[in-house]
Amino acid sequence: MIDPKDPVSDTSAAGGVARRAMFGGAALGTALLAMGAAATRAQAAGIPSHPRWRLVFVNHVTTNPFFVPTQYGIQDACAMMGCDYQWTGSATSNAGEMVNAMNAAIAAKADAIAVPIVDPAAFTRPIARAMDAGIPVFSYNADANAGRLAYIGQDLYAAGVKMGERIVSMVDSGKVALFISTPGQLNIQPRIDGAQDAIKKSGKKIDIDVIATGATVDEELSKVKAYYIGHQDVKGMFAVDGGSTQGVSEVIRESKLAEKGIRGGGFDLLPRTLTNIHEGHLDFTIDQQPYLQGFYTVMEMVTFLASGGLVGPADVNTGLKFVTKDNVGPYLSTETRYEGKTDKAAIVPRSGAIKA
Amino acid sequence: MSDPSSQGEALRAEAITKRFGTVTALDGVSMRLAPGEILGILGDNGAGKSTLMKILTGYQPPTTGRLFVAGEEVALRSVDHARALGIECVYQDLALVNGLSVYHNMFLNREKRRAFPPFMLDNPAMRRRAQEILDDIGVNIPSVDLEVERLSGGQRQAVAVARAVGSNARILLLDEPLAAMGARESALIIDLILRLKAKGDLSIVMIMHNYAQTLDIADRIMLMQHGTVTYERASGETSVTELLEIIRREYRARRAA
Amino acid sequence: MSAANENGAVRPSPFAGRLLGAFLRWREASIIVVAMLLTLYFQAANDNFLTEANLQTLSQFIAASAIIACGEIMLLICGEIDLSAGHVFALAPFIMHFANQAGLPIFLALLAALLGSALVGLVNGLITVKLSVPSFVTTLGTLYLLNGFTLTISHGSPVETGGSEAFANVMGASGYAEIIWAFVIVAIMHFVLRQTRWGLHTIAAGGNLIGAAEAGINVARIKIGNFILTSVLAGFTGIIEAFRISSTDPLAGGTAIMFLAVAAGVIGGTPLAGGSGTVLGGLIGAIVLGVLRDGFTLQGINAFTFDMIIGAFILIAMISNIHVGRLQRRGGR
Repeated sequence: MIDPKDPVSDTSAAGGVARRAMFGGAALGTALLAMGAAATRAQAAGIPSHPRWRLVFVNHVTTNPFFVPTQYGIQDACAMMGCDYQWTGSATSNAGEMVNAMNAAIAAKADAIAVPIVDPAAFTRPIARAMDAGIPVFSYNADANAGRLAYIGQDLYAAGVKMGERIVSMVDSGKVALFISTPGQLNIQPRIDGAQDAIKKSGKKIDIDVIATGATVDEELSKVKAYYIGHQDVKGMFAVDGGSTQGVSEVIRESKLAEKGIRGGGFDLLPRTLTNIHEGHLDFTIDQQPYLQGFYTVMEMVTFLASGGLVGPADVNTGLKFVTKDNVGPYLSTETRYEGKTDKAAIVPRSGAIKA
Repeated sequence: MSDPSSQGEALRAEAITKRFGTVTALDGVSMRLAPGEILGILGDNGAGKSTLMKILTGYQPPTTGRLFVAGEEVALRSVDHARALGIECVYQDLALVNGLSVYHNMFLNREKRRAFPPFMLDNPAMRRRAQEILDDIGVNIPSVDLEVERLSGGQRQAVAVARAVGSNARILLLDEPLAAMGARESALIIDLILRLKAKGDLSIVMIMHNYAQTLDIADRIMLMQHGTVTYERASGETSVTELLEIIRREYRARRAA
Repeated sequence: MSAANENGAVRPSPFAGRLLGAFLRWREASIIVVAMLLTLYFQAANDNFLTEANLQTLSQFIAASAIIACGEIMLLICGEIDLSAGHVFALAPFIMHFANQAGLPIFLALLAALLGSALVGLVNGLITVKLSVPSFVTTLGTLYLLNGFTLTISHGSPVETGGSEAFANVMGASGYAEIIWAFVIVAIMHFVLRQTRWGLHTIAAGGNLIGAAEAGINVARIKIGNFILTSVLAGFTGIIEAFRISSTDPLAGGTAIMFLAVAAGVIGGTPLAGGSGTVLGGLIGAIVLGVLRDGFTLQGINAFTFDMIIGAFILIAMISNIHVGRLQRRGGR
């Protein structure tokens, strides 16, 4: 359960900016109570006093655990910069619901909007409408040419290529499965495209099966299991999204496939994925640093709003980091907000040399 | 094809047999109905009364046998066909739709429509005509706009009868019209049936359970047992005691067999 | 609205009383009251609620479930249900897309898609009526069939919705297009239900199936017809939504929109058990659901607590609806 560290903020009378609701059982009562209170201006060190800007984050899988650290990043940055945020959209990758959420944000006169552009066509007009209404729009986690100001996230195609190259180094020939939760979605499709291109470029005789696993974590595990049972001669199973990666790692662990020489890998740092890497079931996972996708997006929004748009937005590549058995230790031994394993804020100690 | 022996009869059935797979529900049943007459059909459950009713109304065809309406032989193709010949039926469940008003029920599947706009029901016309029919046969309903579920059992029965009568019936078939009714409501319906007979243009067949009431209302009775007609008499020439004795005798005979 | 009598005292006009009485006797009155109360609440909570921008957004929240609700209501009344509506919703735009790609002009492609939807409805109806399978089970099966079929023909990927800008605008892209379609369809279906034989026979088939058959009504034709109607409406809704967001997506619609449509019907006063119903009530039910979903989004409620709050409000709205309904009936006698 996410527990915001900030006190409940009040509603500004000017422009009717809504206040943020509290999670948990008090939500309903608080929601009803907190209407029309006095204005509060935020005073964060480093930038001048400003109204509590309302930043709307639209998402395609609002309840997916991958984005928990993203929400922590948003919360921490909002706490620092004196802003409020709303986390909304669709739980099932439904573009229609996401467009509805964007339209509601525009009508509510949000101060800034961020949305993963997971559909190549659906977001162009809503983004244009928001920008016409003077609302800056940023994309995070997934990107396309849709008129947004900047993209904060991983270079998806390049990440896929890197994974493909890693696969080629582990498997010489034979059948390899690539799992993707929702094909065509722009936050993951480029990765699988990159991986397939890299594998083909290598010239090795690798036969690729592309399998769709669905939008929710439980479904993804079942699909991976079902695939393996039907293809027990597979040489490697890899995935391009967090839920499917976790599913792959679980299947390898349950059936002790690593001992049989079956390789595995994927993306994102779901807890079971990390544990399974540590125990040697999964070879690698790629961190796209979801915390930064929330944190830096808020920073970009605030600098844009504070400078009246003069400080132009900039694309931020939140990076690509291979996590393997060699370096997974610290991820497991620490529980931090940064990886989403706990909501407790903390400074994580580190010492010694840094291996790039 | 007209049969000289059935001239002057409103309805006649000859050797009707109805089989459902291996089950024989009716085994060579014959009956006749004179114009303006009330015929009561008695018998226990399973005797075949309802099956006979369904055949006479065109709901189902007989397996073998012939039917004559007003002297002409007919093969009833459907309920609509039977209706076109003037045969109307009021089933035990009344075939009333609870969610609809009295007048909509009275015109069910015979709704009047406006010329323009197309497809639109002509509710005012149906309302008026429904009220006329009810007045004509002396049935008192507070309003034809009421949903039938708001009416008492007797009123609902009366509406069902009015629906049948209102569509220019010549032969009216009533399936257990007094079932589950108290004395007062029964009186209402009995009066209605006798009024209908008095008007002179209807012949009525009633399936009944209550021997005493039947002998009171009907001109003639017909006793059915196990798919056949075992006894037929004018009401005045028989009695409840006699009918009950016939049934008891048959029951004992079966038990001995 | 008051008149002074000879003593100079003021009493409420009898006309106002009769008007109020007539309003309360409307079966949709209670849900209308609930909708008005919710609107007042949300406007008080955020005065952006009744702005033009939000009304447009609100209308888009409402339109889709309102249209599909018309079909589901007809089915509910005659004792059936269609669980596959949300998946016809997803399939129809793809039929339109492939027909368009194959060379048909977009308008004809749209008609082809509606024809395909009708075919699904026909299958639903035939299996339910002729093979005596409960419609819940039939449409559950077709739901999965359609889902798989749509994913297969689309390879799981969304495509851009075709058509000229003008055509797209009429068919749902421009702000109020969807809600106008919804109003038109609701008006037509209200007329059908209340003023035509089809509507009357639908009620008869639901209220007394055997009795209706005994009266000579072709109840099979009624049920199959209503299945076809629902599928065509669902397909049409999927198409206008595809025009609205410019994207034809195999993941669109689904069980979520189907449940919203059924819920709109039930909230509006059509009992799940059948035998009676109201299309206007379905529209108002869709409005209530749309107001809840849009209002809370506008207010800034976060995704995690969103469903909890929506659920609580639906319960409150329905409990009030039923109580107002009871007062209505007691007063109306």
